[in-house]
Amino acid sequence: MTKQFIGKRIKRNEDPRLLTGQALFVDDVEIPGMLHAAFLRCDYAHARILSIDVSAARERPGVVAVFTAEDMGKDWEPGPPLVSPPPTLQGVTFHSRRQAPLVKDKVRHAGETVAVVIAESRYIAEDAVEDISVEYDPLPVIVDLGKALEPDSPLVHDDLDSNLAAHLYQQKGNYEAAKAQADVVIKKRFYLDRGAAVAMENRGIVAHWDEKSKQLIIWDTTQAPIAIRNGTAVRLGLSENQVRVIAPYIGGGFGPKMMMFYPEEILIPWVSMKLCRPVKWIEDRRENFYATTSEREQLHDVEMALTKEGRIMGLKDDFLHDTGAFDPYGLTLPLNTQCHLMGGYDIENFSSNCTAIFTNKPIVTPVRGAGRQQGIYVIERMVDFAAKELAIDPLEIRKKNFIPPDAFPYNNVIVDQAFAPLILDSGNYLPVYEKAVEMIGYEQFVKEEQPRLRAEGKHVGIAITPFIETTGVGPYEGARVQIETSGKVYVSSGYSTQGQGHFTSFAQIVSEQLGVAVSDVRIVTGDTAEFHWGTGTFASRGAVVVGNAVHAAASAVRQKVLKLASKVLATPEDALELEDGKVRIADIPHTSISLGELAALANPLRGAVEPGTEPGLEATDYFGPQYGATAFGTHAMIIEVDTETMMIEIKRYIAVEDCGRVLNPLIVDGQIHGGVSMGIGNAYYEKLHFDENGQILNASLADYLIVTAYEMPPRIEIGHGETLSPLSKLGTKGVGEAGAIPVPALFAQALENALLDYDLEILETPLSPNRLFELLYKS
Amino acid sequence: MKLEGEYTFNGPREEVWKIMRDPDVLVTALPGTKSMKQVSENEYDGEVNIRIGPISGSFNGKLTVSNEIPPESITLTIEGKGKVGFLKGAGDVELIDRGDGTTLMRYNGEVQVGGKVASVGQRLFDTVSKSMIKQGLDKLNETLQDRGVR
Repeated sequence: MTKQFIGKRIKRNEDPRLLTGQALFVDDVEIPGMLHAAFLRCDYAHARILSIDVSAARERPGVVAVFTAEDMGKDWEPGPPLVSPPPTLQGVTFHSRRQAPLVKDKVRHAGETVAVVIAESRYIAEDAVEDISVEYDPLPVIVDLGKALEPDSPLVHDDLDSNLAAHLYQQKGNYEAAKAQADVVIKKRFYLDRGAAVAMENRGIVAHWDEKSKQLIIWDTTQAPIAIRNGTAVRLGLSENQVRVIAPYIGGGFGPKMMMFYPEEILIPWVSMKLCRPVKWIEDRRENFYATTSEREQLHDVEMALTKEGRIMGLKDDFLHDTGAFDPYGLTLPLNTQCHLMGGYDIENFSSNCTAIFTNKPIVTPVRGAGRQQGIYVIERMVDFAAKELAIDPLEIRKKNFIPPDAFPYNNVIVDQAFAPLILDSGNYLPVYEKAVEMIGYEQFVKEEQPRLRAEGKHVGIAITPFIETTGVGPYEGARVQIETSGKVYVSSGYSTQGQGHFTSFAQIVSEQLGVAVSDVRIVTGDTAEFHWGTGTFASRGAVVVGNAVHAAASAVRQKVLKLASKVLATPEDALELEDGKVRIADIPHTSISLGELAALANPLRGAVEPGTEPGLEATDYFGPQYGATAFGTHAMIIEVDTETMMIEIKRYIAVEDCGRVLNPLIVDGQIHGGVSMGIGNAYYEKLHFDENGQILNASLADYLIVTAYEMPPRIEIGHGETLSPLSKLGTKGVGEAGAIPVPALFAQALENALLDYDLEILETPLSPNRLFELLYKS
Repeated sequence: MKLEGEYTFNGPREEVWKIMRDPDVLVTALPGTKSMKQVSENEYDGEVNIRIGPISGSFNGKLTVSNEIPPESITLTIEGKGKVGFLKGAGDVELIDRGDGTTLMRYNGEVQVGGKVASVGQRLFDTVSKSMIKQGLDKLNETLQDRGVR
């Protein structure tokens, strides 16, 4: 039997290039004659443009062109909607409003693009931006989500009656009937605020229109190269095959790079075609805070109905969701939130109104977790409050309400972000929860250690938070696997990579099918010239959707290998095995042929390829699930709070994750580390501070506090469950976002537990040392 | 952002008032002021250069005077914009005769900033504006002394 590669802790194929600086990033692209772009962005969050004067900028030496909305002529139009509203839901209101490449009439959030300067260097372009003078009529600004629907609120879009962007209602069972039967009903209001994604690499685009070959090549830090190619072709009146989009190595995606089209993504290629010159634009950090999407502001009014024994009978949550000034991403985020409001609990009755709101703030699209954090935060907070109210152990109330393992696939009735039914494909929540309880030593801590430390005056707290995460959604991805005559294997996919370790995890899948070393499998993603079909990197779907497509294509190649080798070695297929880059006869191992030789035989220079067969050892296949694979886990933490400074120290951090079949534990652990670090930022450090004029007051990394090694726990102890998804051959589920999802809820629980004597009730996130100080003084 | 404070001038209220309402004096007193021109009875146009940490640039703006009760109180409204952002604000200034030949100024206002000044300069803005106000008032007080008022 072929050697096992799946599930092995194998070092990453991509790391030597990344660590030695040999990987190509967008900013590494240098083309002779390349011009540079800089944007004039509006400082006001809401203002009418009265006039724009670019004449001084055009006269500056080294400036090649300056474009405003007017200069775009008939090419000016707002970007396409990214996701359409759910067609399967009745009574959905959805006002689609998309950003234009350059603002023509009215600026709707600070940082919107008003003009673009193209110059011989970025320095000249930046100076010329300052030469442009714009006359604005500043308008009243709406920032506050809770006030945006009031009748006298300023309107973000004048053609609408209000700032309502969308409304939808989803239900399961009958909440009101359940409430009437309940022993206790708990009501709370939660406020969740915004943070940025803060990828280390900002966005960047190089577009090169070659007038002679009539080809447009775009290097773009996008998570969705195929969609960018297709959309660009339509926008610029080109054939899809005239456009090649390359998403090379990218320093972090986290969701905002899935947003399309950003104004710059339309403009830079458009300018390149206008001027017949290559053009580069690299976003700076301040631009990133305003112009790249961010997430998580919601206001929830929640009710939970329970029996006195702590069984949850129903949940009701009416919430407002801030979508920023436009809503290109449709209802993905609020639907994700709704789909996680019941967490991993068996709740028969559910009622939820979701209202998306336009504000004069930057656009909201998914950031690692994508609406799921908010849902998990609400349900886990509510369960904590229920336990307190009913005087039930917080562990017992959870165990009592988990969906039992024999209830899967579990139909939650409502629809998910892909408008597919929310069916939890598989799960076994209790063992994973109990593993976390055991790993953190809960009993011993609460019975012995905590009382001892409290007696010493220390504020130590423990928290254990379970969660679920819908991952691996459709529509599809594909892969082509080819054995080359060198014996090495080449795999291409329309997916894109931002650091997830795809070049190793996918290679392991191939290695297991073809018996080649993982380092002999070369994976190419993010180049539309190498693979034509695909959707994009989002929803923790790589290991599921691409993984299974790679698996299917590699299996097909294996069949071709066996068929040809059987003929060459005159041995039945079932007597052959693939090992060490060779096909050999299982019981006569020295009789073998290498995969390279077979690849050469499969592509003969003489003779004939038989009818019904294809040349080469190559296959292409696709995978598209009906609905997603739901991963789950439990995080646990022990913290100590310094009540003088409100700084916290994470003493221990446990993450038990069940993402189905683990392709490479090293990579899964890395994803969890990254996710937890982002989650800690979301929970206790990172927040975009908007003032009432829609200005971000901390739009630099000096003021916006991302988590560093200092804020991280000394070690993240990781445990794994492995409940295979029945939806695919590999049984994989996603884990890319998981690490970030339960952390804000976990923090709230831990802080309340550590500060027991203050009787704290945490109803918001993110917190910070400052905010905790305020809350403690209030209580 | 709120701006409030007090300042004591070594001179009688009427003289302080006079000096405060003299654009030629103000242009020398306000740090970074390049020009100030009276365009109507209660309006002045000016250009001010501001440096806040890494951000520096000039602001063109308008200063409007209202609610004037000589020599007791006045409301100042400013609105300006430049390459590094915009600012607008309003404040009440009150002069109190201390009866000992000195005058106490109380000011209380609110200023809003946007653009780079807000997003990058925010955490220095408070300190910088306070020090600019102090410098300006010190300069006015000096002018008051130079004019031989005592």
